[in-house]
Amino acid sequence: MSNVLDVESLSVEFCVNGNDFYAVRDVSFHIKAGETFGLVGESGCGKSVTSLALVRLLSKLAKVHGNVHYSGRNLLKLSDREMRQVRGNEVSMIFQEPMTSLNPVYKIGAQISESLRLHKKLSARDAFQQALEMLRKVGIARPNEIMDEYPHQLSGGMRQRVMIAIAMVCNPNLLIADEPTTALDVTIQAQILELMRTLSSDYGTSVLLITHDLGVVAEMCDRVAVMYAGEIVEQGSVDDIFFAPNHPYTKGLLNAIPKIDAVTKERLQPIEGNVPSLSRMPKGCRFAPRCANAMEQCKTESPELFDVGEEHTSRCWLSKPKEANA
Amino acid sequence: MSDVLLEINNLKKHFPLRKGFLHTVNGSVRAVDGISLQIQTGETIGVVGESGCGKSTMGRSILRLIEPTHGVVKFEGKNILALNKAQMRTMRREMQIVFQDPYASLNPRYTIFQTLSEPLEVHQLYDPATRRQRVYSILQRVGLDPSYASRYPHEFSGGQRQRIGIARALILNPKLIILDEPVAALDVSVQSQVINLLEDLQKEFNLTYMFIAHDLSVVKHISNRVLVMYLGRMAELASSDKLFSQPVHPYTRALLSAVPIPNPRARRVRTILQGDLPSPAHPPSGCVFHTRCPLAQDVCRHDVPEWREVAEDHFAACHFAEPSSEVFQQA
Repeated sequence: MSNVLDVESLSVEFCVNGNDFYAVRDVSFHIKAGETFGLVGESGCGKSVTSLALVRLLSKLAKVHGNVHYSGRNLLKLSDREMRQVRGNEVSMIFQEPMTSLNPVYKIGAQISESLRLHKKLSARDAFQQALEMLRKVGIARPNEIMDEYPHQLSGGMRQRVMIAIAMVCNPNLLIADEPTTALDVTIQAQILELMRTLSSDYGTSVLLITHDLGVVAEMCDRVAVMYAGEIVEQGSVDDIFFAPNHPYTKGLLNAIPKIDAVTKERLQPIEGNVPSLSRMPKGCRFAPRCANAMEQCKTESPELFDVGEEHTSRCWLSKPKEANA
Repeated sequence: MSDVLLEINNLKKHFPLRKGFLHTVNGSVRAVDGISLQIQTGETIGVVGESGCGKSTMGRSILRLIEPTHGVVKFEGKNILALNKAQMRTMRREMQIVFQDPYASLNPRYTIFQTLSEPLEVHQLYDPATRRQRVYSILQRVGLDPSYASRYPHEFSGGQRQRIGIARALILNPKLIILDEPVAALDVSVQSQVINLLEDLQKEFNLTYMFIAHDLSVVKHISNRVLVMYLGRMAELASSDKLFSQPVHPYTRALLSAVPIPNPRARRVRTILQGDLPSPAHPPSGCVFHTRCPLAQDVCRHDVPEWREVAEDHFAACHFAEPSSEVFQQA
């Protein structure tokens, strides 16, 4: 299968008070055609910064290094004008907060038609018709009336459906969904996930799904990268990550969540300590201070991603091949 | 029943809706509409429901942080809604609350020591030296270093702030703690630390918890009994095991089936509810759930289902709720 997106050693640096901090360091992954790729991690691990860097929505103050290959082009090298033709057209985005990502002073219809008129050069009438069709597809009742309403008149779930309609209306190759259901209730979350699943398979769209919810990952993704403190610590198929996790952080995360299908009540096993702040990043492995298996080497040397299976890598010294104790 | 710590009877909170220049009342939001519940000493009762279902309003009405419109709340047999302000203040020593947002619920201009010693000063407990001792020991108990007492809230992470919030509730030695989404704002790795701490404290001090949350996995883990609320009303109440293994109310079933399970091989029959939560200002007629219920019949549109015991200690408000009936079988 061909890759829709190829990210090669992406790093993002922010300059705060004259000091440079890496919010994202050496992140590499690829997304195959038609698959859903998950990026999981806790708040502050750099998953959103990664997604914003891909589509170049970070402020100019952020220094982005690396390569992002998309259909033969390097997105990081495109001019602003060329980038605008990709964004919202071939690569589109959905964000977490559906209230703040819609424009409060434009009607829903205008916001969906906008990208059609801009990218597909449709007439106002055709764009309106297609936008209406799209609203119907995302399961909005009374689409004719909703076209004429403003975002504040809609509920959270409906706003997120409108966001999805805007993102999908130009039939993109890649959809980047940054915590699309975090602000929603579970019953609404189930509706939205179901909708994303149907649309992406109908349109053959690849999805980069960013979330902190392992349940959502298990349900939606084909392959997953786990991020911690700005780095990918483990990458593999969903089955690898959930049934054969290798990195101590991945294992820790899985043990820390209460399971709704648990039969007996077991005490949770938390990961002790807190996520290190960017300014006080540990020297060696970034997870070492919280890791139960940390060795001397972990405190001084940063591990690379080692192969631990087919398309399954882990950033842990214990997984270094020749030591055979992985 | 023996050892009932808190008894709630037909608790209601209606917020008036005002309109026009004269602010005439022309309706009300029925945030909490008839909750009756008994809580035993030492148990954890979980309260779940979607946002806007009235679970937080209920928690606050019990402590009279929001004055309820109607009903009886008895704490150790005493109706606290009849108490005057001074009596209520004394009563609050026994009942405390922990809020969701650890950023907004601590005074940014108070050091941790000031935050924690304020309740002791308000209730005129102990002399200054003993207060100091109490603050240090409670900090230690929630897993924070006593030297942190001189710091300000902004110097702490979310998990640490929530520990401070718990310490503040605990310092008066209460019997009942209402936990309003105490872990919702925390990351998963820190969330489990706080849950374990709450469990340890409960054992140590024989605390009674009302645990309000929207995360069903967390509620299942921590609760003995669980109450499911929908649009200000009680939908179902049962022991945690029963509610999660044999739910009888269609709303509970839909809610449970909507939770994503962190297991890629889990296959379930999903009941996806259509539509959104109706507005509590104009609740639907009959059963409030009928607009979204997959099983709704004519009777649901006209008659309010009564609250009945479907199986032993298993209550639900649904015309069709039967224990393990075929219609409801869930995979």
